[in-house]
Amino acid sequence: MQTSGHAQPRSRMWIIAIWLGVLLIILVSQFPRIQQILPTLGSKVSTFATVFLGIFIEAIPFLLLGTLGSGFVEAFLDQNQIQQLIPRRALPGALSGSLLGLIFPVCECGVVPLTRRLFNKGLPVAAGIAFLMAAPVLNPIVILATASAFGWGWMLAGRVGLSMLIAVTTGLLFSVVKRPAEIMRMAGIKTNSRMPTSEEQISPPRRSFRQKFNRMTVIAADEFFEMGRFLILGATLAAVMQALLPQQALLQIGRGPVISVLVMMALAVVLSICSTVDAFVVLGFVSIFSPGAILAFLIFGPMVDIKTTLMYLSVFKKRTVVYLILLPFLMSFLAGVLINLVIA
Amino acid sequence: MAERTYRTIQSAILFGLGVFLISKIASGRLIWYIHPRFIPLTILAVVVLLFVGWTVLKEGFKAKRAPATEVSQNPDDLDDEHENHPSAWRLAAVTLPLVVGVLIPAHPLTASAIQSKGINSTVPIATASSSPLTFGQSADTRNILEWEDLFNSGTDPTSFLGQEANVIGFVYHDPHLKTGQFMVGRFALVCCPADAFAVVMVVNWPGSASLPTNQWVKVKGPVQSTVLNGQTLSSIQATSVELVDPPADTYLYP
Repeated sequence: MQTSGHAQPRSRMWIIAIWLGVLLIILVSQFPRIQQILPTLGSKVSTFATVFLGIFIEAIPFLLLGTLGSGFVEAFLDQNQIQQLIPRRALPGALSGSLLGLIFPVCECGVVPLTRRLFNKGLPVAAGIAFLMAAPVLNPIVILATASAFGWGWMLAGRVGLSMLIAVTTGLLFSVVKRPAEIMRMAGIKTNSRMPTSEEQISPPRRSFRQKFNRMTVIAADEFFEMGRFLILGATLAAVMQALLPQQALLQIGRGPVISVLVMMALAVVLSICSTVDAFVVLGFVSIFSPGAILAFLIFGPMVDIKTTLMYLSVFKKRTVVYLILLPFLMSFLAGVLINLVIA
Repeated sequence: MAERTYRTIQSAILFGLGVFLISKIASGRLIWYIHPRFIPLTILAVVVLLFVGWTVLKEGFKAKRAPATEVSQNPDDLDDEHENHPSAWRLAAVTLPLVVGVLIPAHPLTASAIQSKGINSTVPIATASSSPLTFGQSADTRNILEWEDLFNSGTDPTSFLGQEANVIGFVYHDPHLKTGQFMVGRFALVCCPADAFAVVMVVNWPGSASLPTNQWVKVKGPVQSTVLNGQTLSSIQATSVELVDPPADTYLYP
């Protein structure tokens, strides 16, 4: 299985192709001759640019804060402290695991390697799985971002409450597993931060505050580029859809109580946007899609998407990954459809 | 690729993004892209981008020229953390906003975006705390969004129909309109252009056909109600239509 540090050659080709394609269209559209032949192309490109930059500029403060938070966790916190805080029994463990994200703000990209580190240090299975599922949403930055986009109201409450419910339930279901080693792959993963050797685990390198601070900043920078790619891909797709698709075409799909939920969940997987900024991207779909569909996007997206699935596959056994995808899928889908039926 | 080169490229992109945002703030065009309440956050983002870019550049220059082959005993040396650097293609994606921002002339949303973003004629009514303001203010200071709020508020129509409207907006020629009609519209948004929607008023004016799409106009005349394509919209029996420059604050905020 490929590491999370390098895109597989085929997917890298696709990403480069999309990027070059967008670039080409932008360049071509600026020629006056082309503008004569295709008069609407110029205005469509202009709309694309405005929507794309709007999403990006909106999201960038939250992305930066999220990466700094992640860097902070990595550079300043001693994992031993965490072990002492978490109960071993299933339900209390799952509950406290799901709330850990409030203290350790990590985006969905940072949560997978962090969970692995915590499992290696003896975190109980139920707590770790609940943390894995909940941390991308139950953290201060995502809550702030969601509130900025939707206000301090029902959408925010629904996102936080249902994410916690799904995380705790999944954690509880996994409590039948006795040891983390049973669900984890043996192979190591290469990330930007090398896993500590056994000598280093006993006596970690002593770093001054300034060294830790610099380390936090550099890790934040690496994560910014790592996660920024997906924000940009998502913003590009959202902006292209807004510039090209007539609204009428989507309204039919958007209104159906069941199909709209499925479409938005699929979109969440495909767009793979970081949870710190996905609220801003989905705002663009609010006038077309049902509330249950929007909520399902906000709940399911942070738990399962292309990049997190790749990361799960590099850390957990295949069967575990199937459950990690299936359980949130069923619960998010159910939640979305029920909300649509209740509101209607 | 060597640590130093990688870090230099990273820092260049971070600085580039920071400078790009500074230029938007300085030119006053940032509000074409986000709601004004987010401006402080954008300024914070600029500070963080420049700071992180600077730190990354410094750390890159601390690194040895060649990638480390053994674990360094010096905890200050970050080489041991980055034995395997991803290629620079990874960094390329994050340059797209810079490419888009530089190559495509900047515009706020224009009438041509209406086709995909749609017209909203069911705008939520003003909340109880602001209703005295909306309904108490005089007709000639109401903008298009406020007129629509009024229409949808359930207030008795006879209290405002016939009042003199004085609105500015861009010209939009909706295909469902009859001859001698155009729409005057504005975009309203909550966070950014992604969630923006258009609010419009139908204008009855004999010279409609000669008005170019996207041209900003000031329309005056008594307000009436009309139905178009199943939607109830407010309309103006225009007594004057004047060409104006686009305003600095081009969007309305519900």
